[in-house]
Amino acid sequence: MQKVWKNLTKSKEISILAIIVVLAVCITIVNPNFLTVSNFFDIMRSNSIYGIMALGMLPVLISGGIDLSVSSTITLCAVVMGKFLQANPGSNIVVAILLCMVVGALAGLVNGLLVTKFHIPPIVATLGTQTIVMAAVLFYTNGMWISGMPDWFLSFGDIQFGAIPSAGKVVGMPIQILFLILVGIATWLILKYTLMGRGIYAVGGNVQSATRVGYNVSRVTTFVYIYSGTLAGLAAVTDILIVKQIDPNTFSGCELDVIAIAVLGGASVMGGIGTVFGTFLGIILMAVIKNGLVLVRVSSYWQKVVMGIIILVTISVDVINRRIEKARLVHVDVEE
Amino acid sequence: MKIWKSIRENYQNELILFGIFVGLFIVMGIISPDKFLSAGNLQTMCYQMPEFGLMALAMMAAVLTGGMNLSICTGATVASIVAGCFMATTFANENPAIGVFVGIIITVAVAAVTGLLNGVLIAYVGVTAMLVTLGTKLLFEGLGLVVTKGGSLAGFPPLFLKVGSGALLGIPYTILIYIVAIVITYFLFERSVWGTQVYMVGCNETATRFSGIATRRTVLLVYIYSGIMYGLSGVLISSRYCSAKTDYGSSYLMQAVTAVVLGGTSISGGSGTVAGTVIAVAIIQVVSNGLNLVGVNRYMINMITGIILIAVLIVRYVSGALSDKKKIRERAARARA
Amino acid sequence: MKKKLVSLLLSTALACTALAGCGGGSSSSAASSAPAEASGSAGASAASEASAAPSEAPAASEASSAPAEASGAAEASGDGYTIVVMPKLVSIPYFTMTGEGAVKAGEDLGINVIYNGPTTADAAEQVTMLEDYITQGVDAICVAPNDPAAMTSVLTKAKEAGIVVLDWDTQADPNLVDASIHNIDDKAFGEHMMQELVASMGTEEGQWAIVTGGLSAENLNLWIKYAKEYAEANYPNLELVADPFPTDESQDLAYSTTQDLLKTYPDLKGILGMSTPTGPGCGLAIQDLGLQDQVSLVANAMEDDVQSVLADGSLDCGCLWDCHDLGYLTVCVANAILNGQKIESGATIEGWDTPLEVLDEKSVILGPAADYRAK
Repeated sequence: MQKVWKNLTKSKEISILAIIVVLAVCITIVNPNFLTVSNFFDIMRSNSIYGIMALGMLPVLISGGIDLSVSSTITLCAVVMGKFLQANPGSNIVVAILLCMVVGALAGLVNGLLVTKFHIPPIVATLGTQTIVMAAVLFYTNGMWISGMPDWFLSFGDIQFGAIPSAGKVVGMPIQILFLILVGIATWLILKYTLMGRGIYAVGGNVQSATRVGYNVSRVTTFVYIYSGTLAGLAAVTDILIVKQIDPNTFSGCELDVIAIAVLGGASVMGGIGTVFGTFLGIILMAVIKNGLVLVRVSSYWQKVVMGIIILVTISVDVINRRIEKARLVHVDVEE
Repeated sequence: MKIWKSIRENYQNELILFGIFVGLFIVMGIISPDKFLSAGNLQTMCYQMPEFGLMALAMMAAVLTGGMNLSICTGATVASIVAGCFMATTFANENPAIGVFVGIIITVAVAAVTGLLNGVLIAYVGVTAMLVTLGTKLLFEGLGLVVTKGGSLAGFPPLFLKVGSGALLGIPYTILIYIVAIVITYFLFERSVWGTQVYMVGCNETATRFSGIATRRTVLLVYIYSGIMYGLSGVLISSRYCSAKTDYGSSYLMQAVTAVVLGGTSISGGSGTVAGTVIAVAIIQVVSNGLNLVGVNRYMINMITGIILIAVLIVRYVSGALSDKKKIRERAARARA
Repeated sequence: MKKKLVSLLLSTALACTALAGCGGGSSSSAASSAPAEASGSAGASAASEASAAPSEAPAASEASSAPAEASGAAEASGDGYTIVVMPKLVSIPYFTMTGEGAVKAGEDLGINVIYNGPTTADAAEQVTMLEDYITQGVDAICVAPNDPAAMTSVLTKAKEAGIVVLDWDTQADPNLVDASIHNIDDKAFGEHMMQELVASMGTEEGQWAIVTGGLSAENLNLWIKYAKEYAEANYPNLELVADPFPTDESQDLAYSTTQDLLKTYPDLKGILGMSTPTGPGCGLAIQDLGLQDQVSLVANAMEDDVQSVLADGSLDCGCLWDCHDLGYLTVCVANAILNGQKIESGATIEGWDTPLEVLDEKSVILGPAADYRAK
């Protein structure tokens, strides 16, 4: 137990975890409804979309890149799937999910090729593809919503697992959260146990050394964008399973939220740093802030101010914490 | 001739951009000669471009250090809202000259303070610029909302509107302000000691610090400068629309990034020219105005801007690779000889 | 030398790409159906395709009384006026529908209607586009201002250029416009929604809340203001729990915000949803929490998008006017003004069957909102 505690306090995620705990305590004092299983499931369910995209963003950030096109990719996938389901109402869920992921992967592949073959800086390449794809989709759909999804599809979104009594009701874990967890496990396995995953860290740490060690930088880079695109596709499915309709405008501009989640969770936009656990904390922090602001009855006019301050404080604390740690390390070196 | 050669060598990228600009200008002129090339339209463009151009300069300053400033638009609006509170008072309306002058000073000063906040967090606390400005973007937007409750502030002295709509000998004040800002930016970044330090920080901050330069102060000043630029843009925006509101100019953010990158500024910092950014702004303006005149759907215009961005970068890469190859060949030939 | 040549070639190629992109733009927009057609034909007006638009137009119009002599600016498009109808932003369902109406009216009346607007609800982009259209020299501008104050200078410029100026959807400066097309009187609409809410709640006491599309949307703020004032005056026992909750015009956010809201205020009896995504968004949250019977929801919504939440009573009443007609009426009124007709109550104008209802000499009222309930 002591060892676990020691590991935890040593880990990079400690400051964000602390902030979540502090926020949670404050919110619970004002509104006890906050700390219930059903509330937790509700907020995680609506934030699972952002969570899945953030988990896709994580490897991109670790490799030293950035993907601003997640917003256009998720919109593209959602619209493609909506049109597909309208045309083929007799299809099944596996085909629908696979379709979304393939479309997302293709969008990611384009980004990957622009970055690796034409050496366009990632932020620019993905800004370009985002503008183009988003404009094309909105031009094509005119922003009209797509509804009338088949029943088998919508009922898939209502699946719940287990039965936990909470606040006088029995709630189960929604399938959207299962998606999030599965994606989290997959990302963790890839980053930790595959050659590709180690390559991602290596490329993000230092491209030259990674090349010398023998990693194929192009392949690693292309992979992270494809992975991000694929997960954006999965996020599209998750979204439609929640809101049951497709609004092509919903996700314009969401890429900054997604990046914020990953970075709040300790990933560095400079590359080389980031963990799945941290990203999960980022998702929870974002969800808690959004949910908490309403629960503690902050006036809507002040919500953005409070949110901005919390983000600034969190990242500042994180940075200062790391600096202190670094200073301590140097100190030890000097003593020896 | 020698000057031309040195320009060609040092400003190759700008020349290509200028070629594109001229090309697009001609194309638009051919598509709608009576409308696009009319004096009225050229003047309209002169009114429209400065507010966006100043935003792009604000963004460029941050990008040169390897940072990013996502708070330019909300920073500008919060500054003009604060100034708007003053300019809407009866005192300002009774003394328009003082009111407008002080109002402009307040806008730029508040914007500089927002820049200072960004700069302190980035330079002294050491948080990544993108993240800080993402946070301050929300913060400024929120502050604006708190003050205005979502509405718009109006009732400024009529004199203030002259800033955004008046003209000197047919040349709009806005473009004059823009030109002055361009010249000052050029001298500050490309001809001053501080400017050189900015580029050095953008290339390699650690090395710069160890060569005895106060990198933190340099970066702090960059963000304050960025603040002043978007503050000026805020003045023009609130003057042109004779009101202040939280979401004015929100569409300029990503366009500014596009303009800066299109202009050849390296997104990782350390290289880029003022001329490049200015030409890129003009390109985007011509595309947007020209296609608008012939009634192309707004989304198509966005799409074309995106295509131009990607295409220019591909061209830049390919021509760079070709010239590298040529150099290698020449060197090989020389070695053989 | 070679290098220079290469770069020159490449930049020319690039200019061509841009050209091709723009050419593709106008042709593809002409091919698609919806309001894009407006921009398509507008794009064509300058190009060689111009002949297609006018040749179609007279055929469609039975009464081509639109005099050619007045269309000075629209020379490229043959006879008929050129009217710009600018929404707050393009590509959201509401403004897509109004656009379809506007374009249809243009076809029926045999005039050119350009339906185009900014891609975000940003006043700056809207002003820029309007300036471009003034330069282009159109006959009439009908604008749905993102922010009335910001429009003043550009609309003054339009007036000076001799362009007929109308506003629709949201009121601009009344001194500058020749006519305002109102879906409905803002005050009447806010009060109507409040009455509907109280009727659905079945009680005149308890807690209620407002969910809105955005805190800086001018017309939504007006409705909220009137609804609040009406509630304070007529239902003193109703308690508004907090300031309006913003949802960024997003169904997702409306959904999660409503969930949070219902947990924070468990005794909430009614929710008023302003802006069209709130109808389906808030409705779905009530549906998922199973609170159909406890909580009443009255919200704006596009009828097609809320069938599932209407069916089980999650959404008690959806309020909206006929968007299609709003666009249609706007173009008809603009056309009538251009023809020199006076806009007054009881007047009949070309293309619009019922006599006009005009308030304050300028405000043309479309008619009462349509309420939809569970069938």
